[in-house]
Amino acid sequence: MDGGWLLLAILFSSLGPGIAIFFLPEHRQGLRTALNLGGAGTKLALVGVLLAGVLRGDEYHFSLPLMPGIDLVLAADALSLLFASLSAVLWFVTTVYAIGYLEGSPRRSRFFGFFSLCVSATVGIALSGNLITFLIFYEILTLATWPLVVHRGTPAALRAGRLYLGYTLTSGLVLFTAIVWLTLLAGAEGFTPGGYLEGLAETHAVTLQVLFVLLMVGFGVKAALVPLHSWLPIAMVAPAPVSALLHAVAVVKAGAFGIIRVVNDVYGAELAIELGLTAGLLVIAAVTIIYGSIQALRTDDLKQRLAFSTVSQVSYIILGVALAGPLGVIGGLVHLVHQGITKITLFFCAGNFAETLGIHRISELDGVGRRMPLTMLAFTAGALGMIGLPPLAGFVTKWHLGLGALEAGMPWILGVLVLSSLLNAAYFLPPVIRGWLGERREPWHEPLQAHAGPTRFETHWMLLFPVVFTAALGLLVGLYAGLGLSPLGWVSLIVQRDYALPEFGL
Amino acid sequence: MSGAALLAVPLVPLLLAVFIGLRPGRARLNRLVPWAALPGLALAALAPPGLEATLSGLLMGTHLAVDPTGRAFLGLTAGLWLAAGLFALSDRRDDPRRHRFYVFWLLALAGNLGLILAQDAIAFYLFFSLMSLSAYGLVIHSGKPEAWRAGRVYLILAVLGEVLLFAGLVLAVHAAGQSSLAAVAAARPEGWALVLLVLGLGIKAGMLPLHFWLPLAHPAAPVPASAVLSGAMIKAGLLGWMRLLPIDAAGHAVLGEALVLLGLAAAFLGVLVGVLQVRPKTLLAYSSISQMGLMTTGIGLALLLPEARGWLLAAVTLYAVHHGLAKGALFLTAGMQRQWPVTRPARTAFALFTLLPALALAGLPFTSGALAKNALKEPLAAEALSGWLAHTEWLLTLAAAGTTVLLLRFLWRWRADLETAADGLDRPRWWAWGGLSLMALLLPLATLLAGPTALPLSVHDLYGSSLLWPVMLGLGLALLAWRGVRDRETPRVPEGDLAVLAEAAWDGARRTRRRLALPGPWPPRIPARMRALRLGARRRLEAAERMLTRWETIGLLFSAAMLGLYLTLLAG
Repeated sequence: MDGGWLLLAILFSSLGPGIAIFFLPEHRQGLRTALNLGGAGTKLALVGVLLAGVLRGDEYHFSLPLMPGIDLVLAADALSLLFASLSAVLWFVTTVYAIGYLEGSPRRSRFFGFFSLCVSATVGIALSGNLITFLIFYEILTLATWPLVVHRGTPAALRAGRLYLGYTLTSGLVLFTAIVWLTLLAGAEGFTPGGYLEGLAETHAVTLQVLFVLLMVGFGVKAALVPLHSWLPIAMVAPAPVSALLHAVAVVKAGAFGIIRVVNDVYGAELAIELGLTAGLLVIAAVTIIYGSIQALRTDDLKQRLAFSTVSQVSYIILGVALAGPLGVIGGLVHLVHQGITKITLFFCAGNFAETLGIHRISELDGVGRRMPLTMLAFTAGALGMIGLPPLAGFVTKWHLGLGALEAGMPWILGVLVLSSLLNAAYFLPPVIRGWLGERREPWHEPLQAHAGPTRFETHWMLLFPVVFTAALGLLVGLYAGLGLSPLGWVSLIVQRDYALPEFGL
Repeated sequence: MSGAALLAVPLVPLLLAVFIGLRPGRARLNRLVPWAALPGLALAALAPPGLEATLSGLLMGTHLAVDPTGRAFLGLTAGLWLAAGLFALSDRRDDPRRHRFYVFWLLALAGNLGLILAQDAIAFYLFFSLMSLSAYGLVIHSGKPEAWRAGRVYLILAVLGEVLLFAGLVLAVHAAGQSSLAAVAAARPEGWALVLLVLGLGIKAGMLPLHFWLPLAHPAAPVPASAVLSGAMIKAGLLGWMRLLPIDAAGHAVLGEALVLLGLAAAFLGVLVGVLQVRPKTLLAYSSISQMGLMTTGIGLALLLPEARGWLLAAVTLYAVHHGLAKGALFLTAGMQRQWPVTRPARTAFALFTLLPALALAGLPFTSGALAKNALKEPLAAEALSGWLAHTEWLLTLAAAGTTVLLLRFLWRWRADLETAADGLDRPRWWAWGGLSLMALLLPLATLLAGPTALPLSVHDLYGSSLLWPVMLGLGLALLAWRGVRDRETPRVPEGDLAVLAEAAWDGARRTRRRLALPGPWPPRIPARMRALRLGARRRLEAAERMLTRWETIGLLFSAAMLGLYLTLLAG
């Protein structure tokens, strides 16, 4: 159990404050904020320590026997740290944002309690050492997110919550079946780079194929793979910080991360190719990418457009993993981070527009750049990043996915990327153009100023800071992608352990 | 050190754009706008040969350098942006939205300068996109419906060009195994990669049949923006071709022939459609399509005649510099209509500044056009090409006649709206315009004195009968046409030729779809009792859910679920 205390501390740095917040009375605002920010800050610091340790080559492992033969295992490898540091950083920003966003609204103790629970579950998923542990945290995440989705209590929110639970619990059941079956078949092995199922390929090929499909259905609901995606665009009725959590930090990412783990660390790329599993996954990812973009084009609601864009963008991750070659996997893994940073920026911006000026539709965005220049600038950075223009984060992904597709001998994927970029441009450029170049003649409605008085900046600083921070982060990770500690550098490190990495230097 | 010098060229305009964006009210910042091109100009003039820098942390490794071709393009680009920027400063003086114009101006400038220095695929793509997308803000600046329409066409084609270029670069880089432009060209892109690169860059260069954004965007944009669009930005596509196409010892016959064909077609069709236009700036846009056609032909010839490729590339570069300066000056001329002076010496200068760039484009001896045209045709003298290609030299010469007619038509239409300056002469505009116009005489001098080693030209190349007869022919044709149709309604082709067809097709398709669409199904009728039952069930369900939102309940359920999960696992 060397270093296992650190993993537990990371888990409890959000779980502890979360539980404490549940029992805080509504009016103890200062203490609640302190607990929230303290937890988020502690987690950030601890993940930093872990990052330094893993970089040094230290091993971190914690296990707790659940029942004979099955342990609850926490472990830290480079891949889990990728996800853990992403959610730690983004959680910190989202906490700041949520405090600003929910200022003065009712039932905040409940909200922040579940909020912290959600993030604990996400970090648990990131640090899980085997499929059983993964499943446990995955289901906790499902349940802890639901109260956040229905937080507003409106009929639309309740409907979204119902759909969310329907989808995720059913998929959870499928996943449960698959994982128990797999455990009976192969034992409760820990995640191993390259997979641990080669021995069964001869005797149980069909079973493994069926299991893979079940696992993909189980994870695919959260990763919003077509046709299992319908809950996501409807869940956008939730408050903006929850959308950020759903789309960037936790839920969707958990699904994608599960797929990454299964393909890379349970089956292993070689076995997955041999059984013909990646080909199917590739087609589904490609269909999702195009379908999500087309749907996004058809809606005028800003948040709904962003939600459909998530459906499309998360499948870039799946696409990269399914390419099952070094460059493709780099593109997929790095998009886990890049999509998170970019999409959280966009959802924060949408939240700012809605809170500050009451804007919900793209057709209302005309001239917003003059009233809220910084938010609009962040939105522009996010939108251009999603299209995949350099030097923003999205380009790094697209470039590697393109090279990876050619390396895998599948040039049609490049066509998918081109088509998707065109569609992305078609639905992300109009709001940007309206915001900067449109004209607004009548004065703005100012719901925020109406109830909270004038603000020093274009909006409340707690709403503005996270937006600017994540937008700058999205620019920096793209601009300095060549540095060793950038997400790209880190992902290259992960992939190098499994594959011989081809060089595409100068 | 060299890294800082190279990076400063795109960074200075970028930083100024940020400052102007943050403090739009500062008049002092606005006055700096033209000078943001100065580092580029300084680098073009003073950089030691072989200046380069590799920045491995930036993007996925960035390589910037000034090579001989790049130096010429850098000088043209920075110089033209500087002159047009000075013009813009006085042109936009009373524009309430001028800071927005300046921000887009500076962003496009940064992209245009950066893409010349970029020597690797990613940096090239970065600056190329920055320029393309920022220029959209210049095209739609006036905010008129015409500008929005032009902007839409421009943006669609620009984004299309972007993604085609992206796909082409990925294919080419993958085949080369390296991302530097030199390595990509050395690995000879083939098949799809080649097609995508030619198309992606060709949209920017106004290549047929993707040229139709030019005659829409140029008249819609403010005068100085049209000048840089036509003079500098469309040259980016040309530069991209020079850097990425397999112009090496083996050449590429198929692509070469295709480019010569497309180029010559553009040279003549541009003139044919152009003379049927009415507005001066549209005429100039069609002239740009025609002139870019000549440069495209030059690239095609370099692919067909590998042994002369060094000469031809240098000649195309010279032609690009000549055309950029002359066309920039002509666009500024279009913006001088209300500056017709009163005094005689000023009128002489006005006429000189107007005629010089026009004559240079037509290729009159002793102008920059004469040198550029002779340089381009020089390697064709021998029996170098076979088949229909053998007529290339003659066709290139004939194109000058078309240019003459087109420019006469421009001057005629332009003269119609000439007005005397109401409140005195606008000196900054005159300086910028006159300076650019005089380049038509200074450029050949400079080329002959400090000539590039790849292009050893002499004074004899400044004149020749092959320069004079097309101009004479053009004058004759123009005279005939003028006498013939003087008092009649001239036939017209709508501006943006193919764009009009595309828009009509699009509208038609939408109408057809709407007509074909079936009416929606009637809402199913449910018996009243059933509906009441369903509503009741839903109400009860929602009440239950609302109870679930109380955290005590969900907490309890949550613990129960966790316990259940654990027990199931234990039993399993």
